Amino acid sequence: MAEFNPTILAFCCNWCSYAGADLAGVGRLQMPPNIHVIRVMCSASVKPEYVLKAISGGVDGVLVLGCHIGDCHYMTGNHRTAKRMPLVQKVLKEVGIDERRLRLDWVSASEGEKFQKVVTEFVGEIKNLGPNPMREVKW
Amino acid sequence: MNDLGKKLARLAFEERGADFLLAMREEHGNVAPAMVSKGEDVGDVRLEVPYQLVTILENIYPWISKGKIAIITRRCDEKALAELAKRKYVDDKRIIKIGLACTEEQIERCRCEDPVPSHVDVGEPHAAVKGDELSARLAKMSQEDRLAFWVGQYKKCNKCFGCTLTCPVCFCDDDCVLEERTFVAEPSIPPGLSFHMVRSYHMIDKCIECGECERACPAEIPLLTMRKLLAKDMKEVFKFAPGDEKTVSPLNTTLEGELMGDECDEC
Amino acid sequence: MSVRHVLTTCPYCGTGCNFFLQVVDGRLTSVVPCKTDEISLGRLCIKGYNAHAFVQHADRLMHPMIREGGQLRNASWDQALDKIVRKLKAIKEKHGPDSIAMLASAKCTNEENYLFQKLARAVIGTNNVDHCARLCHASTVTGLLHSFGSGAMTNTIPEFDNADCIFVTGSNTLEAHPIIGSRMLRAKEKGAKIIVVDPRDTPLSRISHLYLSQRPGTDIAWINGMVKVIIDEGLVNEGFVKTRTTAFEELKEAVKDYTPEKVERTTGIPKEKLIEAARIYAKADKAMLAYAMGITQHSNGTDIVKGLANLAMVAGHIGKESTGVNPLRGQCNVQGACDSGGLPNLYPGYQRVDDEAVRAKFEKAWGVSLPAKPGLTLTSAINEAASGRLKAMVIFGENVMISDPDLNHVEEAVKKLEFLVVSDIFLTETAQLADVVLPAACYAEKDGTFTNTDRAIRVLRKAVDAPGEARADWVIACDLGRKFGSNGFGFSSPAKIMAEMTTVTPIFGGISYEKIDSKVVRWPCPAKDHPGTRILHTQKFTRGLGLFAPVQHAPPAEVVSEEYPFILTTGRNLFQYHTGTMTRRSPKLEREAPEPYVEINRGDAKRLGIGDGERVMVSSRRGSITLKARVTERIIPGTVFIPFHYAEAAANRLTNAALDPISKIPEFKVCAAKVAKA
Repeated sequence: MAEFNPTILAFCCNWCSYAGADLAGVGRLQMPPNIHVIRVMCSASVKPEYVLKAISGGVDGVLVLGCHIGDCHYMTGNHRTAKRMPLVQKVLKEVGIDERRLRLDWVSASEGEKFQKVVTEFVGEIKNLGPNPMREVKW
Repeated sequence: MNDLGKKLARLAFEERGADFLLAMREEHGNVAPAMVSKGEDVGDVRLEVPYQLVTILENIYPWISKGKIAIITRRCDEKALAELAKRKYVDDKRIIKIGLACTEEQIERCRCEDPVPSHVDVGEPHAAVKGDELSARLAKMSQEDRLAFWVGQYKKCNKCFGCTLTCPVCFCDDDCVLEERTFVAEPSIPPGLSFHMVRSYHMIDKCIECGECERACPAEIPLLTMRKLLAKDMKEVFKFAPGDEKTVSPLNTTLEGELMGDECDEC
Repeated sequence: MSVRHVLTTCPYCGTGCNFFLQVVDGRLTSVVPCKTDEISLGRLCIKGYNAHAFVQHADRLMHPMIREGGQLRNASWDQALDKIVRKLKAIKEKHGPDSIAMLASAKCTNEENYLFQKLARAVIGTNNVDHCARLCHASTVTGLLHSFGSGAMTNTIPEFDNADCIFVTGSNTLEAHPIIGSRMLRAKEKGAKIIVVDPRDTPLSRISHLYLSQRPGTDIAWINGMVKVIIDEGLVNEGFVKTRTTAFEELKEAVKDYTPEKVERTTGIPKEKLIEAARIYAKADKAMLAYAMGITQHSNGTDIVKGLANLAMVAGHIGKESTGVNPLRGQCNVQGACDSGGLPNLYPGYQRVDDEAVRAKFEKAWGVSLPAKPGLTLTSAINEAASGRLKAMVIFGENVMISDPDLNHVEEAVKKLEFLVVSDIFLTETAQLADVVLPAACYAEKDGTFTNTDRAIRVLRKAVDAPGEARADWVIACDLGRKFGSNGFGFSSPAKIMAEMTTVTPIFGGISYEKIDSKVVRWPCPAKDHPGTRILHTQKFTRGLGLFAPVQHAPPAEVVSEEYPFILTTGRNLFQYHTGTMTRRSPKLEREAPEPYVEINRGDAKRLGIGDGERVMVSSRRGSITLKARVTERIIPGTVFIPFHYAEAAANRLTNAALDPISKIPEFKVCAAKVAKA
């Protein structure tokens, strides 16, 4: 059986997690290549609609990475994200898509290693979950 | 004017000082929603046909610059009005609620767990139903079966937008996100899962389970069931249920419960 | 401050849903579904929910216009009407009454269509009156008139709920008749088997039990194939065939060579699927046949319809609950325009103009002598205009410049006319060529009746005033009639017009505005106390015995060639309607489907190097258009599909005006085309 190579989107906020991702890159930390990083100014600008559209379209996993609570460049942006993402997970769960395909985490600009850890874990988890069943659905 | 009409006219215009009454009555062999002015014949009122009067109120409210409006409200309608009032879409000082208790059939059809309005003016109150049979069945299904079920249902969707147009708490008229190609990409029908998931997410802190979406759906997709499932999740995750004017949606507050400023007005 | 909810009928498709137009102080604010309406059950499609959007649009025609010095200039009603009367009288004097043709309108009410044909016949003196049914269900009228004696849907829309087999062909029901489609979905939830035969993969075929995909233009082959399977497997309803039909032996003879293998070679339908479809249909207890343009819009459309009638009769699925042959009529009042006599060979109620006794009755009722010769069909009228024999046309509510086949030919024909009058609600492509333009009221601005596809007479109630100086077409027709000197147009209301109609039209005999105000009444309703008729042909057919027709497969008029290797088929999409005059001015509808496109099969696109969204040129022997490609696996290889709604890339520039000899319907569904990168 061919190995499943998941397609994963990672929304990273400009001020913290994107910088952290950069740091991981500069430090040549080994990471699986399946992540497509999308830089946003704040994790709060990740509209739930984008996440739902991505998963509906067959993306296997979505990572949303923001600043640690209390560190958001826009004060309470990440509070909004913290409220939204669990609800997006419930929407996925109720329709029959594994909610673990969406993960929210906090990575600061200096946490290159944490970035590596989160990404590696998440890719591993998605590999276990298998391909997004929406890939097979013909509308 | 039938007896019910006379009763409502008395309640609304004489006792409670309304200038208008929004109710339902017989017209041309059908049942029609009707906005009656004080002094006008209320007509033969029929209340068993479940028109979503709050949605109608919301549509005409911008043009009613003054006066008090009496409206027949079931329990779910009260909650819908609360959601609208807290977002300042209606001024609740101008709304007079005439409480309608739903019949047993209506309660069963809506699988309603909260059927009695805070004040009953018309109708006999009946007990709530224990729960939604379909929800129970879905809870026992495997994830694959659940997805197959919902995909099978949503595949019938014909993009009539009936669910959003008849929904009392769906108020983004001209900038509905479901009409944006950025979010609902498919240029043909059925519109794909993102349409339904986006709607589900938008409703999660507003839906008061009136069931109008399900009744309006030509494909008879069990939309109310999905709303109920997510309402349960909302309670679990944030201990929040929509319908109370005094509570703020968790999507508008910080993790400490403080109201978030005007950074973003969308929710 | 007044808020009214006016119960009226949708101006879009032939389903005829009723809803409330919400009016606040004379402004249309919203559409509210009518929960007690038996047709719509309180549901609507996206066009229904937006049926108010175009009504008070800024583009509405508000003043009559007369062409002076090459330009259309505003004029008064008297000036415009007087000019029309003057010119038509002169042309009639010089070239005879048959040099003038009138187009009635499937968007106008029954009462208005009755007046249009009365104007043509009793005032101008010609039977040259026709309307767009010629382009859509003309084959149904001729085909079923031959087989059953009546060309209308035999059963009713609510009955779809209870069928156990729904056989749909040539109808993209969920897009073209969404609320009827939703009935089919309800039936499916209850266990009904839906069978779809269509060259395109459609929303309905995707949820069907059995889906057969045929090459366009091969319908008689598969229909005869199914009939043969039913005969060979002993599934014929012997009792029905024996007692209710005639000419069965001719049918048996006609289908004897249509073996499943031969049908597969001709149509591309795998033989096992054909056999299964035939078995399911014949064995079902309550099987309903539903069909639309895919069956009718062919150069042998009448024969194809007769073929479907054969199929239903051989299985005995007629005259009972949830059975029958059910043509889904397109326009809100195309059924009514036919019923009201907007046809060149038929008076109101399908009575023949060349029948002496019938003509005598109308002559007596109207107090004038009437022409005996059947008139020109719409398609023939265009040809006569092109040749210069037809001098004038009066067109009510039809946009021939986009809806007719072979538009380059239509344009030539229309421009050649000496005199063209157009009455419409917007300045359409056709109105732009007129000598006189009259501003008309739309459905929301007048009273009247529409007849939907299941023969129900639906009520229109005036909700708002017409803009500017626009007038209802019945008022325009009465004004014209009076100015012509006739005294048969003194009607003060649509109710009065209907009252006259009921005296000369047996199928409407028992109709009155009081009766239909609160009840759904379907014709035939011949007498005052008659409740209307739900199911046709219950005891016997309108003609007595059902007539089997020995129809044979014939190829389409234009087949593919080396230069034109694709079959072009045309049709509709859910969001737009016909020539787009109303829907393209409705923001929410236009937003969903704003651009013209051509659907092309994925394999074909790859071969031609065409990517999804790329601009391509599609050409036929008659013209070319440029539009975006939509690459999809939802159309069979070798065929492309273009919706005809977009004036900027009008599909009808390419279509073939090859006509069915009996119904004169054009072959919109099949012509040959080529596709290239633009």
